[in-house]
Amino acid sequence: MTATSAWSWRSLRLAPPLLPLLPVLAWLPVLLVLPGLSHGGGWDLIGQFAWAAFNPSLDPLVLGSLLSGLGITVGIALLGWALSLALGLLGGVLSSRTVWRTLIGSALPAELIRRLLAVPRAMHELLWGLLLLQLLGLQPVVAVLAITIPYAALVARVVSDLLDALPTQGLEALRLAGAPAAPALLTALGPALQPGVISYGGYRLECALRSATLLGVFGLGGLGTDLRLTLQSLQFSELWSGLWILLLVMLALEALLRALRQRWAMPARFGLTRRSVGRGGREVALGLVLLLPLLVLVAAALGVSPLQLGQLQPLPPFTADWPAVAALPWLSLIGSTLGLTLLAAALAVGSAPLLLLLLAPWPWGRVLIQAVWALGRLWPPPLTALLLLFVLQPGVLTAALALAFHNLGILGRLLLEAEESAPMQAEEALVAAGAGPRLALLYGRFSALARSYLAYGAYRADVILRETVVVGLVGAAGLGSLLLESLSSFAIDQLIALVAVYVLLTLMGEDLSDRLRRRLLAA
Amino acid sequence: MFSLPLLRPRLPRPGFRLALLAGLALALTPAALPPQLQQVAPQLAGAQAQQKLLRISAIPDQKPETLNRLYPLVASELSRSLGVPVKYVPVTDYTAAVSAFRRGDLDLVWFGALTGVQARLQKPGAKVIAQRDIDASFQSFFIANTASGIKPIANQKGLSVLKGKRFTFGSESSTSGRLMPQYFLGQAGVRLSDFAGGAPGFSSSHDATIALVQSGAYQAGVVNEEVWQSNLSSGKTDPKKVIVIWRTPGYANYHWLAQPNLDQRFGKGFTTRLQSTFLNLRASNPKQAQILDLFGAKRFIPAPVSQYDSIEKVGREIGKIR
Repeated sequence: MTATSAWSWRSLRLAPPLLPLLPVLAWLPVLLVLPGLSHGGGWDLIGQFAWAAFNPSLDPLVLGSLLSGLGITVGIALLGWALSLALGLLGGVLSSRTVWRTLIGSALPAELIRRLLAVPRAMHELLWGLLLLQLLGLQPVVAVLAITIPYAALVARVVSDLLDALPTQGLEALRLAGAPAAPALLTALGPALQPGVISYGGYRLECALRSATLLGVFGLGGLGTDLRLTLQSLQFSELWSGLWILLLVMLALEALLRALRQRWAMPARFGLTRRSVGRGGREVALGLVLLLPLLVLVAAALGVSPLQLGQLQPLPPFTADWPAVAALPWLSLIGSTLGLTLLAAALAVGSAPLLLLLLAPWPWGRVLIQAVWALGRLWPPPLTALLLLFVLQPGVLTAALALAFHNLGILGRLLLEAEESAPMQAEEALVAAGAGPRLALLYGRFSALARSYLAYGAYRADVILRETVVVGLVGAAGLGSLLLESLSSFAIDQLIALVAVYVLLTLMGEDLSDRLRRRLLAA
Repeated sequence: MFSLPLLRPRLPRPGFRLALLAGLALALTPAALPPQLQQVAPQLAGAQAQQKLLRISAIPDQKPETLNRLYPLVASELSRSLGVPVKYVPVTDYTAAVSAFRRGDLDLVWFGALTGVQARLQKPGAKVIAQRDIDASFQSFFIANTASGIKPIANQKGLSVLKGKRFTFGSESSTSGRLMPQYFLGQAGVRLSDFAGGAPGFSSSHDATIALVQSGAYQAGVVNEEVWQSNLSSGKTDPKKVIVIWRTPGYANYHWLAQPNLDQRFGKGFTTRLQSTFLNLRASNPKQAQILDLFGAKRFIPAPVSQYDSIEKVGREIGKIR
């Protein structure tokens, strides 16, 4: 028997470092179609936009409005983030299979709660904001809750995934030794959970800042209001004043969170000064104690008060025409939305490692990549979509590119951070053995990151599905455009149906990514 | 799990203190807000303050710097003339503005014709206060990119040349950028699914529509006459690249809409005094001239409610009113 006859396609397995690069294949059809889509009529407008970056408006009226807006936006982000983290931790514990198995011997309640939490997660912050506006009115608390609710559900999912992925030997040992369920859980899983929660929690604050910027709707103003108005009226100089301010805040926040993460979320490995045991924990506790009065101050400054929850009014009555709702072209709507989501996710997930690989060995490469990714995070997807439309024809592809660029910025930063902290030894060994810098990076460092990076990409696809709402500009008919249309027509029956579809898609996507992750992590 | 290996941190670096400082400064920004801003929110929230405070808002389709200049002026003029404190509440979303008006969180709102009708249907008894001289017979202009080969058309039937073309509206609930144009298109036998790609775009604003048609992303679009004229005179529009192909018949558009209960809250005759404040704005008064100029009007005139009947009818036909 020869070696060739034993070959089957199943034995063809990709090396782990190549896995994150696999989605890059999505670029091939895109690059084929792109020249046909280009109309190139708006390069002068792109030029105006780029020129405005170096000539932002310094009008005191504009700057004053931006700065006070910034205060409001940061305040809302901070409050929404803190609340969502607290609620999300609770929800995460409640939806953990390990916790329920230890407590009552069955993971059924966990499965149930996980499914229920898909409902708040499936609705975009903007939609939560409008729903809460109906119930609570034009109150500052609405902006905070619009971030808190979907974020808490998202944090709960990640925390429960973290919990269920922890090794359970310690827990089993404690239980066998006779420890009661609750203390055993706390002792065995609590400390192990801390680093993951700290690093993820910090990342959520960055996301909260982005969301708070988008939510300029609730009578509070904020930086998002100014950005949105300047974008709508194409006042690029004023737009850039806001973008520069937002960029500074974003980078400062990222640097702070990174420093805290490095300090708190990892054991001192080979530090020269030995740290005392539990120092990180004490600092975290101190940080939390300091955070509380700060939150109270911010809430007072913004006029956010729990009392506002008491001013509940019922939803307006609505007439439902369910046959008309059922007659909508659901299949094509869902198809185009899923296509858009998957294409955007593949482009974003695949491009980050590819760019890093191509440009990293070049001295200025890393700086360039970081600058481009920062722009991706900074520019809201509608802005990117508008810029793309200046040179490309509208359609699903243009929308996918806009969403991909934004998410590339987010994924790229996470990848870069992970890549910098991954062990250097394997890469150095490869370089010493004569491998080129790119191959050494690919096989030396990416191999350790590949699976976790892809798993994160799966989470991100969930977010992209909801973000399809914000690119109606490109005329791609999908669930997102229909959602905006129903909102502006007060078509409550259509809205209910749309939310149900989003919940269903989120549940299916979650199931799929759970399986994928389990397979990837098991390998 | 992803975040354990992915976000594995490294040892503290010298930048830590700097980053900590930056973060603290960032976190404290809200506390350093200008005092007048800190008071906005409690004023919004307090039920007692609502009795005394007239909360005005507008669906902003103007430039933000115009907005920033215009509304403090309007607020101070109303406050002076009516003797009550007036607060401008920024709301950037049509749906949010209508909902806030339904709940009674806004007292006086500058609505478009469609959103005004939506608001009056959700809040029976709401009063139309005034409109600008140009709002009684407002027009939309269909525009096209010159490279698209679309030529000016002689009459409404000619709109059928837009079939198969890439076409964009403005915002979903804009009267001049969507509702009336869609109605006129429908009369000419053009359905939304007839456009290239099976659907029109929604550019989100009149300015964006002009830019996108001028660049060629969309071959044609529709904008309101006011924004078209101002873009033309400011030189932002290149008449070699984008042309008007058809002007719609006139229809009623923007107006001020007030809550039905203002007389109970602010005293008898308040609504009438509010109305005459707008109707009496004159260009001969320098401050009032500034307001009129920023509104793009010569003066405000009474707005008969009946002129929105046809808007409501069209809204129902198109499905924007239910």
